[in-house]
Amino acid sequence: MSSGFSYLAFAGLAAEAAAKKSSKGLFVRQPHFPARAKRVIFLCMKGGPSHVDTFDYKPELQKRNGEPWRGGSARLLASAQEFKQHGESGLRISSLFPNLAKNHADDLCVINSMHTDLPSHPQAYTQLHTGSFQFVRPSLGAWSLYGLGSSNQNLPGFVTLSPPSDMGGANNYGSAFLPAIYQGAKIGGGQLPALFSALTGKTEEPGPPMKNIDNPNVSRETQRAQIDLIAGLDRRKLDSDHHNPEIEGAIQSFELAYRMQDEIPDILDLKSEPESIRKLYGIGNGGEGDRFAKQCLLARRLAESGVRFVEVTAPTSWDHHSLLNDNLAKSSAITDQPIAALLTDLKKRGMLNDTLVVWSGEFGRTPYAQGLGDGRDHNNKGYSMWMAGGGVKGGYNHGATDDFGYKAIEKPVHIHDLHATILHLLGLDHEKLTYNYAGRDFRLTDVYGNVVRDVLA
Amino acid sequence: MRSQRHTWIGLVILLFTEIAGADVQSDTAFFESNIRPHLVESCYKCHSVEAGKSKGGLLLDTKVGIRTGGDNGPAVVPGKIEESLLFAAISHAQPDLEMPPKKERLPDKVLLDFRKWIESGAPDPRTESTGKISTAPTDLESGRKFWAFQKPVAHPTPNSSKNKTWATSALDHFVFAKLDENGLVPSADAEPTVLLRRIHFDLVGLPPSLQDKADFLKAIEKMGLDSAFAERVGLLLASERYGERWGRHWLDVARFAESSGKESNFTFPEAWRYRDYVIDAFNNDVPFDRFVIEQLAGDLLTATNDAERARHLTATGYLAIGPLSLNAMSREQSLADIADEQINASTQAFMATTVACARCHDHKFDAISMEDYYAMVGIFRSSKTFFGTAVGPDNQLGGELIQLSKTLGLPVFYQPMKPEAVTKLKQDKVELIAKEKEAQAKAAQAVKEGKDPSEFFSLQMAIGNIWRKGAIDGKLALVDEKGNSNVMCMGVTEGEEIKNSPIYERGELATPRQSTVKRGFPKVVQLSNSPEIPEDESGRLQYADWLTHPDHPLTARVMANRVWKHLFRTGIVRTTDNFGFNGERPSHPELLDYLALQLVNEHQWSVKKLIRELVLSRTYRQASDYEEKAFLKDPENRLLWRMSKRRLDAEEIRDAMLFVAGDLDLERPAGSLIGRTGNRNAALLPFAKNIPADLDGSTARSVYLPVVRDRLPDVLELFDFAESSLVTGHRETTNVPMQALYFMNSRFVEERASSFASRIRNEIKGTDSLETEMEVAFRRCFNRLPDAEEKEIGLAFFKKTNGSDALKRYGQALLSTAMFRNLD
Repeated sequence: MSSGFSYLAFAGLAAEAAAKKSSKGLFVRQPHFPARAKRVIFLCMKGGPSHVDTFDYKPELQKRNGEPWRGGSARLLASAQEFKQHGESGLRISSLFPNLAKNHADDLCVINSMHTDLPSHPQAYTQLHTGSFQFVRPSLGAWSLYGLGSSNQNLPGFVTLSPPSDMGGANNYGSAFLPAIYQGAKIGGGQLPALFSALTGKTEEPGPPMKNIDNPNVSRETQRAQIDLIAGLDRRKLDSDHHNPEIEGAIQSFELAYRMQDEIPDILDLKSEPESIRKLYGIGNGGEGDRFAKQCLLARRLAESGVRFVEVTAPTSWDHHSLLNDNLAKSSAITDQPIAALLTDLKKRGMLNDTLVVWSGEFGRTPYAQGLGDGRDHNNKGYSMWMAGGGVKGGYNHGATDDFGYKAIEKPVHIHDLHATILHLLGLDHEKLTYNYAGRDFRLTDVYGNVVRDVLA
Repeated sequence: MRSQRHTWIGLVILLFTEIAGADVQSDTAFFESNIRPHLVESCYKCHSVEAGKSKGGLLLDTKVGIRTGGDNGPAVVPGKIEESLLFAAISHAQPDLEMPPKKERLPDKVLLDFRKWIESGAPDPRTESTGKISTAPTDLESGRKFWAFQKPVAHPTPNSSKNKTWATSALDHFVFAKLDENGLVPSADAEPTVLLRRIHFDLVGLPPSLQDKADFLKAIEKMGLDSAFAERVGLLLASERYGERWGRHWLDVARFAESSGKESNFTFPEAWRYRDYVIDAFNNDVPFDRFVIEQLAGDLLTATNDAERARHLTATGYLAIGPLSLNAMSREQSLADIADEQINASTQAFMATTVACARCHDHKFDAISMEDYYAMVGIFRSSKTFFGTAVGPDNQLGGELIQLSKTLGLPVFYQPMKPEAVTKLKQDKVELIAKEKEAQAKAAQAVKEGKDPSEFFSLQMAIGNIWRKGAIDGKLALVDEKGNSNVMCMGVTEGEEIKNSPIYERGELATPRQSTVKRGFPKVVQLSNSPEIPEDESGRLQYADWLTHPDHPLTARVMANRVWKHLFRTGIVRTTDNFGFNGERPSHPELLDYLALQLVNEHQWSVKKLIRELVLSRTYRQASDYEEKAFLKDPENRLLWRMSKRRLDAEEIRDAMLFVAGDLDLERPAGSLIGRTGNRNAALLPFAKNIPADLDGSTARSVYLPVVRDRLPDVLELFDFAESSLVTGHRETTNVPMQALYFMNSRFVEERASSFASRIRNEIKGTDSLETEMEVAFRRCFNRLPDAEEKEIGLAFFKKTNGSDALKRYGQALLSTAMFRNLD
């Protein structure tokens, strides 16, 4: 979005500087201080999972089931889940996530005092990803890549696996005013809604996971010659134009594209994984869970290959306005095993130490029922998310909501704080990671954000 | 404060006394090179309209702001260094007022410059907008004073003695004056061939053919460049290709798409009729005021025949094609959301004002109140929207379509039925309902008896029935009683009930205020004789009349700016869809006023005439070459010292590839791929037999490709097509490897490269020379021959590649060059 700052001088110089920065491409850059995490795997739970049914145990809510909420017509709805303590830490995780609870309670750093600005999906979803629900801003992944670069030049440094096309769409992995090289590459077609999977017997849209990644009619040698020809002609044009970021960017794009053709198919091929690993993740279990299992395994492979930021959007909606218990059971069944497997797998490979795994939705849900009394409404005032691995405390709860889980009251953590913390773990100072666009230094956290030091290991 | 101030004065004067006598450059130049950059870099972040911040009530980005100052008094008092707080702050003379905060003091050289500037009277060329707007003009009084809500007025055309030969039109004089003010001069004219390529893409979205070039050069020889160019412009504006290009610009603004978007994305099989209406309207140069009225209230216009009536009704499709939530919590909520979308889309498109912000609270930046918003809600809630989606399990919102005359020969894509089949379908539905009732009764009985009711009636059955009924309704909607295919369009008519709306607190339907708001329009716009809404009409027609009132401050300005943007790459107001406080201020306010008045008065709202005036200016004709001095001064080319370069749009890139390969089919296809596929969830499109994987598969112009929200044809998605859920006056340009992969590997480019190679071979007819092949290919792609170095680069390619498809791969590479998809 190039809006904003008309007559500030030197906006074009900023563009030129941008081009220069981008010509450095994705090469690794030094963080501001030693990093605790080298990469991020973001498990995005779209729709807003109910925190009071998953990670935020509220005995008071359990006791007062059915009572009016704040004297109004809404009634409190106790959770139907059991909240046992797990691991050495005794972290409470509901019965919805048996695998995660059994194997990783001591790895999770749960923030129970999250809050965000708006209780509506697209806005909150976009704010979760970019910090802003109002303006088009670079996404968290793009900022991370901008700050650190990528160690693998043959792959995009930021990959998003089958993101939703609504909820802000490409904004959520876009680069906005950052050079386009930092934007997320989408791998995998749209995920078919469950209803249609049932109808068609297929879980994914037909077609290759990534379009145009291969041309069977042309040899690599010929393609190499083509790229050289294009670059030769483009450079001449660039010379005569003196200043043309579009052309400079194009020359790089063709080079990167050429290399991606070899690298990506290798990584996408999950068949090379041993059967034990496939089983661990739950590949072959069928349905949506199968898809998510493949995505989680692919996320690990991408992270392993040097991709800086991988986002996986779970192929299920947590937007449970009705039939809460049935739907929660479905969504957790799809996600529990693959997520637990991902953590196990990363740990086994010694990667969990420097990989930050983030699990979050765009908000949580109300402690009171809505509609026919069997669902929960959106709640932006208090909810839970967790992180694991790279530099965070394990088996730890941070902050708290009130007795009912309605509002974050103890050590509240805003999206800006979360972003500041994630950048901190990556070795980046959120106040120093700026990009000058049209005369103003922009940050992921705008003018807000405090690193949540309590969660740092 | 005062007493403290005197303590630093002495010190500062001591520190910076050796500046006197320096030969002062021209005031403006000094400010631009020595003062403004530091203001921008060090101060604007906290003290500018653009940043939306005015710490301490201080704005430093305008002349008035810097002189009026903030809470502590004037920042700059011309000629008086000791009274200028800005200097106190930046020289760190006062411990509690050190600016920029928490940073090193600015270098002494800079401080000296500031001192010199203030002492020489602080000459400040910044003329933009008003001064002290530390708070946004949200009340009516200050809102009405905001530039955008003031009627455009005629300004005297600047006439500089330095500008005897350059300017050929009034607009050139405005441009020249601003350049001159900033010590810049316009660029030389572009080469005729560059100009030809530019005007072809800009007006019709296609490159000139070899014949076009030959004709143009011959015409220049015969009648000179001026006349030849004017003649060329006339030809292009008269071509049907013009409507396909400029209609598409409007479709961006109209957030045109062929599906509902949002969480249940259902296709709109009749949306294409509105698309064709827009293309035709531009080709027929329907005056813009009329065009506005047709889209907002075509159903209320008198028509002389069925064809005109159909055209009017189709125009109102504008209001029905917006993104639509098919699964809102209730029907009421859906209707409220539809009205909201209509208000949002139309106020942004026609007025570049974001009225819909006032749904939940008074606008935070502009003088738009909740009352204004709900006055418009009444208008749209008193209208009925026809969007035509069949009810199903994931779509709770069924919608009808508007019936058009069946005798006009309009294309229809569904088969007629035998009358018996219609009767049978109706019977099926009756039976289905009867069975369902019976099952429900049994289930209710079971509940009473304490038994499990699901044996008789389960959720699955309920969903199944909705689906089955929906399917029957969907089929019945396509035919009349006798089974003849209906001809239908999306659109709007008057509603069954005409009523005012209450204000809903926080926009929530559960909390209406007691009284209602009379239907009307935002009060910040004052018109001499504003149209009154009769009690028994929705008010859409009056809304359209109000918008196109000759005194309306925005409609003509906004449209003139949109036209300008497409010809000069950036709007005079860069935020084409937001003229409000949060938008940008015009770079050339007088010129914008001039153009708005020209559009209304001189051109009688003719868009073609406005375009003609703009492209026949000297400003448009400038070369796009780099000039170091001007670039350093104005890198963004806001002052128009040259023509800005641009990358071609997605449509132009695709059309140009079809064009040079000789594959382009200029025939307008009947309907669209979506029209031929029928109403369904977009997630199922990949399974439809007639839908190619890249949603392309045609050789018609790109404007006819399907536009499904969140599911665009590859080429559109990759090359920055408009976000079809938003009003888009300006598309972004990105540069990503996926675009490169499209050129290297896509089916579409493979096919073009093959055709291109055959075309070259045919043209050469057996001449077996690489040189000739390259020349022919180059001429087709770039309308010129390759120079020696380009030939050498080509020969290096052929040295490495000599298979049977070498020519094809060479051609493909040419189609992939930056030269091919950029315009000088």
